[in-house]
Formats: sequence, structure tokens, C-alpha cells
Amino acid sequence: MRLLLVVTGLALFGVPTTDPRRSLPASAELSPRDSALHALNRLAYGPRPGEVDRVAALGVMHWIDQQLDPARLPDRILARRERDFAVLALDAAALAEVFKNARRERRRESMEGMTPSSDAIGQLLQVVGQVQQLAVVRAVLSERQLQEVMTDFWVNHFNVYSGKGADRVLMPVYIEHTIRPRALGKFADLLLATAQSPAMMFYLDNWESVATGAVPPGVDRPGGRATKGARGPNENYARELLELHTLGVDGGYTQRDVMEVARLFTGWSIARPAQSGRFQFNAWAHDAGEKTVRGVRFPAGGGQEEGIRLLRLLANDPATMRFVSHKLCARFVRDEPPDGCVDDAVAAWQRSGGAITDVVRAIVRTPDFWSAQTIRAKIKTPLEFVVSAVRAVGGEPDTTQELAEVVGRLGQPLYMEPSPAGYPESQEEWVNSGALLHRMNAAVALAAGRLPGVTISLDGVVAPTDEPDTLIHAVDTRLLGGILSPRSRAVMREQVDAVRNRVAARALAVGLALGGPEFQRQ
Amino acid sequence: MAISRRVFVRSGGLALVSLGMDPLFLDRAAYALSGPLPPSPDRNRPILVCLFMRGAVDGLNMIVPHGDPLYYRERPTIAVPSRDVIDLDGFFGLHPRLAVLKPLWDNKTLAAVHAVGSPEATRSHFDAQDYMESGTPGVKATSDGWVNRYCQHDAEHANTPFRAVAFGPQLPRVLAGTAPTLAIDDLQAFGLQLPRPAARDRLTRAFEALYAGAQTGLLATSGQESFEAIRLLQRANPLQYRPANGAAYPSGQLGRSLLQIAQLIKADLGMRVACLDAIGWDTHTNEGASDGQLAGLLDELAAALMAFTVDMGERMRDIVVLTMSEFGRAVRENGSGGTDHGHATAMLAIGGPVGGGRVLGRWPSLDVTARFEARDLAVTTDFRSLFGEILARHLGATDLAPIFPGFDVAPATFPGVIST
Repeated sequence: MRLLLVVTGLALFGVPTTDPRRSLPASAELSPRDSALHALNRLAYGPRPGEVDRVAALGVMHWIDQQLDPARLPDRILARRERDFAVLALDAAALAEVFKNARRERRRESMEGMTPSSDAIGQLLQVVGQVQQLAVVRAVLSERQLQEVMTDFWVNHFNVYSGKGADRVLMPVYIEHTIRPRALGKFADLLLATAQSPAMMFYLDNWESVATGAVPPGVDRPGGRATKGARGPNENYARELLELHTLGVDGGYTQRDVMEVARLFTGWSIARPAQSGRFQFNAWAHDAGEKTVRGVRFPAGGGQEEGIRLLRLLANDPATMRFVSHKLCARFVRDEPPDGCVDDAVAAWQRSGGAITDVVRAIVRTPDFWSAQTIRAKIKTPLEFVVSAVRAVGGEPDTTQELAEVVGRLGQPLYMEPSPAGYPESQEEWVNSGALLHRMNAAVALAAGRLPGVTISLDGVVAPTDEPDTLIHAVDTRLLGGILSPRSRAVMREQVDAVRNRVAARALAVGLALGGPEFQRQ
Repeated sequence: MAISRRVFVRSGGLALVSLGMDPLFLDRAAYALSGPLPPSPDRNRPILVCLFMRGAVDGLNMIVPHGDPLYYRERPTIAVPSRDVIDLDGFFGLHPRLAVLKPLWDNKTLAAVHAVGSPEATRSHFDAQDYMESGTPGVKATSDGWVNRYCQHDAEHANTPFRAVAFGPQLPRVLAGTAPTLAIDDLQAFGLQLPRPAARDRLTRAFEALYAGAQTGLLATSGQESFEAIRLLQRANPLQYRPANGAAYPSGQLGRSLLQIAQLIKADLGMRVACLDAIGWDTHTNEGASDGQLAGLLDELAAALMAFTVDMGERMRDIVVLTMSEFGRAVRENGSGGTDHGHATAMLAIGGPVGGGRVLGRWPSLDVTARFEARDLAVTTDFRSLFGEILARHLGATDLAPIFPGFDVAPATFPGVIST
């Protein structure tokens, strides 16, 4: 603890704290507990009671290696809880059926004013709510924390707005089968999978994108909405693919490139959208003319494979490596990440052919990851705040949608960001007076056992006591990892002193700790 | 759950003294708050409400150039038929679902600015919104928003936590910066919520002390602002607000936000600029014409704006509501019955100070040769000229240069939205 304070003090006065031995990360300068806490804050959703000590004893780099290989980590508790989520048992066809039934009940695009007045609509709302709640439950309970963090990262990077029409029922498959299995795989595979996901094709309208003047084959297809009224290419997916998924807005492409890419992806569609939720390439809709994208020629006569070719080119483009690495560093290191960190990530990407584990491993091995300017320099997003608070008190989320709704009320309703850019990462976006008050309220409610959607038992975490100092110390070490400032300690002590009842005093201390400024940082 | 007003007024009173605020506030603190607040000198101050239509609204179907045959030729399925358009001046007309705003045009408190937008060619929502909020098109490095810069340079108006407020869960870019601004999601829920007043009061003071001790930075300043805001907001008595004059806000987020803005204005807490969002304007497919997707959105917009003007009543004399959007949409419809991203769009200005009953800006025509990149409506009014005119002539900003750096916001470029 003292070592960290010295390091922090030096950093504040501008003395560099880089480790000259680049083979080892600068965690050598941090105590094992501080390294563990930092890793748990950044690579996981914060520590559970006693977890800082457990990870410190295991060795933080060893823990990180385990997290980078999630298949080997047993996750029995989560596996049991997942059985409560009926949505996981619904395949694409069953989900499409739910949507069809709901639409029959209510012929409107928006869900504004939709109440579960009928079974069909109730079922639809259940699907959406369960998907959201499942994300929260996994984040709280999973042993494979880094996998959850990376799933969240990629679902956001390849954002789909689940409030848009059929995306409500395309989302479960998108998360379970497109993103999660590939969250720690190869970027190129993930990119291709999203390009062929009904969720993405629907969200960015590509399912309707056809070559100019293309006409479907003579036979009337039942439910052939994909083709009704579509008369030409739609640029939406092409633009976001370049701007947000791969190269980045400064990655070097023109409006003309966007149009050519749109032509490349004509025909990438969904098989009978309301019925199957399956990707389908419609050759009749594909523009097979010659195309040129960023100087690369795609000869005439191409089919689906030219889209795949483009995706491979994009995945391996240095601009993509840079853009995505930058985002990863912003997530793990600092909102404005240092160049060195990004360079290391890009180098690992190149060496490994875009293996995400290698890139993440490179990031956590940079001195930047462990530096004093990085430790607790980020502010938790609403999701990170709620999940880390529940974990900190060993809370048990239920299967209702309530805890997910808490995250939504704090400003981050899951999968409900309409912009293809997804939710922002930087603190400016999340820290404002209104948001902080919501967090304080949530913290106080959680500590008192009143937060909807979660049950807690503080007895296993912090024993009630008549001694204010003992109580504050226990809260500090067990919940906050020992980071409470002397001033905060004094404030909390004064508050706790005024409360006679030991249980109430404990709830107050925990509420203040979780709602206070230290706990907002990660 | 209402926080006991008596308790907060007591501690609120002391806090206000330490902030060096107008002593009249203290007098008001002594009221039992069972009746309306006495009129304050703040009442007649100008207010700007900025409504960002996110997603790039199709200005051509909003303020329809029905006098131009090209409009109908380029939009065979989604042009608004001339029989449905509500004619404004023989050339332009309102989309039929904006009909409820026609009386404002007639009494000269509604103006439209057409062919307005950014000089930047980007068709990225993300970038274009960023540029319109930062007020520096083309420059990504700008860290603050133009409204925040206005606040930074505004010496005239009191430095209350409510000077610039956004309604929504996240602080928008336009309010980011060193001047303190506030994001309010729900007026009624603003503050700590505990059943017992004494515990609530104690807890609020405890958190305030904790955040006061936070390392300097965003957490500390936002924290402090929270508590100043709670104190002042108690007096607005959110639970008992009733819209005036029979105003009926539509249900939904837009109506709710405008209702809360109305409420906050009437509380006279020094709010100068209110920001809110309307989402869903990105009509790539099935835009519809007189009916359909866009029509439904315009319906809700018009109902909400009208309810606000009715609710504010006479106070509209000091208020300007301005709509804006990051860009417009292509002149020609696309292959999916919608429109792709375009360039210039239309913006509406409503309020007493507005020189209404006119479509402002220079209409560049829809001729292919006059279009931006041969596809979009060209920009003939830089959005900064429009925003700048409102800041200068309505809010009284004396120097626009630091608010829109790198741009010559000369009065000659003002579109004439504020009547002089």
C-alpha cells in the first residue's frame, strides 16, 4: 500500500515510473494485492469478497493467463443459473416465431406503449429482457471474467440496436453464437461472423441491399420481405463496416469506396426474415460487376466470396489493427491511451495474425497497463459500476429483468444504443451530476438489501460491529481493496458513529463506500 | 418519494449563502413552499432550447420544396404529394404531420432555415454530430461543446448549476467542457432517495463531503454540482407540476423532456440553455411520404413542440426553441424506399424573438449541378451562423469568436432568424 502511494506521489510530480526491464511488466513495482486489484478492476468486473487475496496468492500474471484461456476454467455456478433463462433454449426459428406472433398482435414498428397485454407481446418483451439480464448475471457470476468483458467489448464494437424491429429476436443468437464463442478468438473470424449475422444484416439494412435493378427469380417466395420494394444497394452497412468496425473514420477511404463496398455486399441477406433468422446469400441480388475498393480490384463475375475477400483484407489492414487496438487500449488502459501501448498491441496483432488473446496479453504486459497514471484512472460505466458493486458484496442477481433495468436507469440500457458506434468508453460521457446521484442511490439501496433484482447478505462480507474504526477498516479492505482516503475514512467514521444500530451502521458504511468517489474508479 | 422540503430548505439556505447567491433566494427559502414562488428578476431572461434530431432528419420531407418539380421526379415513392403539403409561401410547405405548428407560422413565431448544415463533407453520423456539438466542423481535437464555451464566456448570467442543462441520461458533447453543466434524467428522481428525511439529509451531507474530498477532476466537480443542484431543485417542487393552459404533451421521451424543461424554466433557477434529443430520424428504409415512419416522428415532434409553447404561454416571448440535425438526406430516394445520408438539412426556430413566417437561408435549388457532390442538397448557411445569431441576438453573447473558433461569425452571415 505504501509503495503504491510513493509511486503515485512520484507520478504526480512528473517522475516517470516505467520499468526498464521490459520483459516483465511494471507490476513488479506494485504490491501483489495492488496488482491483483488492478487486474480484477480492468480485466474483470471487480473483485468479490476475498478475491484480491486469492488472486494475489495465485499470482496476478498466472490469474491473467487463466482468464485468457476460459475453456479451462470451470464455471459451474453460472452454468446452473443459465438454466433459468428460457431464452437460451429458443433457437432461431423459435425466436422468429415469437416475433411473428407479437407482430400479428401489434402492427407497429416501435414498442412505445406496448404493454404485455397479450401472451405474444409478453413473450417478446421477455426475450428482450432476459437477454439483458443474462448479460448482467454472467458478468456478476462468471469465473470466466475476461471472456465476459471481451464479449461486452465486442458486442459494443459490433453494435446492434436490439430495439429495432426483428433485432429484438435476432439478438440472442447474435450474442450466443456470433460474438461469445469468438470473443477471444481471431478478429478476422469475428468480423466475418458479424457480417453474416442476421442481426447485423437487419440492423444496418443490408438484408435489403440488392444490385440496381435486380429482380428476384419468378417464383413467389412466402414471406419474401427481403425483396419487396428493394431496388438498389443500401450503403448503411458498408459505411459502418469501414468507419466503425475496421478502418476507422480516418483509416483512408472515400465515399466512392463506401458505394463500392455496398455493391460488394449486395445479396448478403436473411432467409425469409420473419421465419428463420438465418443468413442467406441471394445470388440474384448480387451486383457481379467489377469493383474497386481503395485501389484493390474485384473482377467482374464475383459472388459471395468477394465479400469474404474484402473482409479478410480489412481485418488484416494496418489501419484496422490500429483502430481496434486503440479501442482495446482505451478500454483496458486509459480513455486516451498512450501510443506505446497501442504500438505493442498492433505488433502483437501482426505477429499473431489478429489473435485477440495475444493482443490483450500484449496490452497487459505493457508498463502502461500497470503505471500509476493508469491505476484507478478510468471511471466505471454504469454496467461496470452495478456489476462490480454486486460482486463486491457477494450479491446474487435473480432471473427477473430488474437488475438489468437498474443498469438502464443509470444510463446504459443493454443493447439499446441506437448508434452503430455503440456505447462510449470515455469518462466524460458517463460522469455528470445526474448520473452520480443515480449511482449513490443504487449503492445505498444495494447496501440496504433494497436494490431490485439482487439479494445480498452482508454477514459473509463485513461483520456488524459497535466499533466504527473496525467497521470502516473492514469495509475498506473487504470491499474497496484498501483504497479509502484518510479524508473519506474520517467522513464515514463520523457518519457511522451517529448510528446506534450495528446493522444499520454497516449498511450505511457499505452504501457510502460503494456510492463514494473511490468506488466509481477502476 | 418526496424529500422533506423543510429539512432541505434549512440546510439549503446556509449552502446558498456560502455560494454567494442572490439573497432573495434566502427569503424564498423561508417560505413553506406550499404556494408558487414569487417572481424573481430571472423571469425575463432569454432562454434557448436546443432540440437535436439525431440520425440526420430528411429536411426535404420536413420543409417540402413542393414548388420544385425535381423534388417529385427524384422521389417517386416518398415525395409528399402536393395536395397533402401544407403550403407556407407558395414554394415551400410543411409536412402534413407538422400541421399543428401552422398557427405559429401564421403568427410569425415559427421560422424554418433551409439548406443549412456543416461545411464538412462527412456523412458519418458520429462525426457530424460531434462537429455540430463541438461547433468546430472538421476538428476532432476540440474537447468542449459550443454551449459550454458560451457558458465559459458568459459573464452576464449568474453562475447557477442550472445554467445549461441536458435532459437525458448522458451529458451530451455540446455541454462538455470546463463550465459546470448538468444532465438530468428525471426531475422527480433528482436527489438521494430514502424514506426518512433525517437519514436522507445526513446521507446527502455525507456523500457531499466524500465527493468534496475526491481527487480533483470530473468526479469532484460533478459531485459538487450534484449537491448544489439538489438544494436548488427542491424549491422547484417537481411532484406538483401541472402544465398550464391545457397543454397536452405527447407520451414518450420527447414529451417528457420538454415538460421537464418547461417546469425547470418556471422554477426560475437561472437556466439559460436546455438541451434535449429526439431520436430515430435515420430513415434509410421505408421512410414513407405523408404517412409512415418519418410522418410518425414528425407527428410526435410537432405535438411536443406545440405543447411546450402552449405550456409556456406568455413566457415564449423570451424563449427560442431551435431544432438541429447533423446533416440531411440525399435528394434522390434509394432502393429501399428511404434516403441515404445527405448534406444540408432544415432547422426550425420557434419563439417570440423569432422572425417567423419565413423560410430563411438561400435556396440553392435541386438541380443536379447545384447539389453537393451531385447528390445532396447543398449547404448555403453554415450552422454556426445560425447558432451564432441566436447566441448574439437572443442570449446577448458579445463575442462569438471564442465560441466558434476558426470561423468568422459575422452578422452579415446571420440568416435573420431573430427579429430585430
